[in-house]
Amino acid sequence: MTATTSTGPQRSRRIGTGWSALGFISPAVLVVAGLLYAPFLYTVFYSFTDYDGLTSPKWVALDNFKKFLDDPALTTSIRNTLFWVVGTTIVPVAIGLLIALLSYGIKGGTALRLPFMLPYALSGAGLGVIWGFILQSDGAANDLLHFLHLPGADISFLQQSPYNTIAMIVAMTWQQSGVNALLFLVGLQSIPTQPLEAARLDGAGGWKMFRHITWPLLAPLTTVVVGLSLVASLKTFDIVWVTTQGGPGRSSETLAVTMYRDAFVSSDYGYGSAVALVLTLVTGAVTIAYLRFQIRGQEKLR
Amino acid sequence: MKESKLGWVARRGTLALLGLIWLIPVYLLLVNAFKSTDSYDADKIWVPDKSFGLFANLRDAWDTVGLGQSIASTALYSVTGPALAVVIGAMAGYAIVVLRLRAGFWWFLLLFGGTVFPTQMLLIPLFLGYSWADLYDRRVGLVLIYTAVSIPLAAFVMRNFFTGVAYEMFEAARVEGASTWHIFRKIYFPLALPALGAVFILEFAFIWNDLLFGLTLSQSDPVRPVMTALSALSSAYAGSSVPVLLAAGLVMSLPTVAVFLAAQRMFARGLALGQF
Repeated sequence: MTATTSTGPQRSRRIGTGWSALGFISPAVLVVAGLLYAPFLYTVFYSFTDYDGLTSPKWVALDNFKKFLDDPALTTSIRNTLFWVVGTTIVPVAIGLLIALLSYGIKGGTALRLPFMLPYALSGAGLGVIWGFILQSDGAANDLLHFLHLPGADISFLQQSPYNTIAMIVAMTWQQSGVNALLFLVGLQSIPTQPLEAARLDGAGGWKMFRHITWPLLAPLTTVVVGLSLVASLKTFDIVWVTTQGGPGRSSETLAVTMYRDAFVSSDYGYGSAVALVLTLVTGAVTIAYLRFQIRGQEKLR
Repeated sequence: MKESKLGWVARRGTLALLGLIWLIPVYLLLVNAFKSTDSYDADKIWVPDKSFGLFANLRDAWDTVGLGQSIASTALYSVTGPALAVVIGAMAGYAIVVLRLRAGFWWFLLLFGGTVFPTQMLLIPLFLGYSWADLYDRRVGLVLIYTAVSIPLAAFVMRNFFTGVAYEMFEAARVEGASTWHIFRKIYFPLALPALGAVFILEFAFIWNDLLFGLTLSQSDPVRPVMTALSALSSAYAGSSVPVLLAAGLVMSLPTVAVFLAAQRMFARGLALGQF
């Protein structure tokens, strides 16, 4: 495929690098096509079959998706995933913003932020190990609530639904707030100082300043931070798998855990593929809806 | 910008208090990971004791799930995967930007599109395909998939990077009669090394922390990566004591914590550019 038509830039034809360019890009394309695109397409295909790994896949059209409706595990899993989406797009983002605002531009800000940054480097599995320990029955979480005379001191957080999901969302908040703060901080640093100074001269301070100046200027970044949390929350797997394995029963499963269990514990590849496909479609739809909503909102602002 | 004395105290006070709350889990982790299994008491988790059990705990984890081999394997995965990916990604960026591949933007979209769908869409066919191709539970299989998932980000960063490099450099080298491969190896790749380093570190942390691919594509102690081993250790069947589990969790987390603290800013930037 050398550049023979008039569309390619003049130089590349003169220098004659068409074949060479293909050679340079082919390793990347081959690996990505073979290991990312091909499996993706296979999963789409399997989701319309009853494949169990033993007999060859038989086409069952939409049967897998119809089965969703009377699968209680899946209903719970969808509910939990919604919990995760709502919980982790609001709380860690709000706390992250708070930390960023409090620590922006003060001496020793980096040191004061360190406690929030440490958890971020932990893996989902590491997070699960630590919080599994804290949340165990009569564990540290119960001790603390008891000590502070707060309600919930007697709850076995990991044993009861929906407390298990909520407790793991708290763990995720502990991990994610710091990195959100860091992202907001990058945003704060990129805000030009003139509008802030002008507002200050006009006598705006504190809340008013935040509400009318800082918050609107941070809007693009908030879009990014919330968007990241949204996409990540829909795919929550690691922490649930390590902390509760989706249990007790299947009460704390998320869609990603349900998919894994159906596919690799029950060897129901067809059904597992269908769950994966639904997860993908939901993620895609939510992301697109969210971005459109945000873009419209920001156009209104102008 | 002058702030009131009250504001000064309130800001730092709130931050410090929140920070202390945030450190509670870290404190509990450290205190209990260092206890010996025998002296651990579920009713006394808040206070340190005199026993020093960290090394014994680690040895225990070593024996139960073969943590030592997992660490060696994971080191291999999280270095080889990103290293291959940055070379392949840089080649792709070079092809698109410098060699002006026809329809280059579409090729780029194809590569970057590889990051869009959730991992869950890949697992079943990967597992079945790996079993069929005898790649299941083999180190080379894991290196392959980790390389594949690292390529899109590398290609993305390299495309942007090479766009900022003067094209005259390529023309001049061409006039001198250098081959495209020679120009890549001697000029463009060395030029891109700092940017590639950033990508490498991000991918290193990502792969070190991966659980899902390890869980799906490996099972034996020597092959499975650390997070998968940690997950096995934490499952009820392993029957490990709390200090053993916490000690393993602590040590497994150190590499990424160290990398992360060294490169905080870069991570924030990488996060923003990796996902959108």
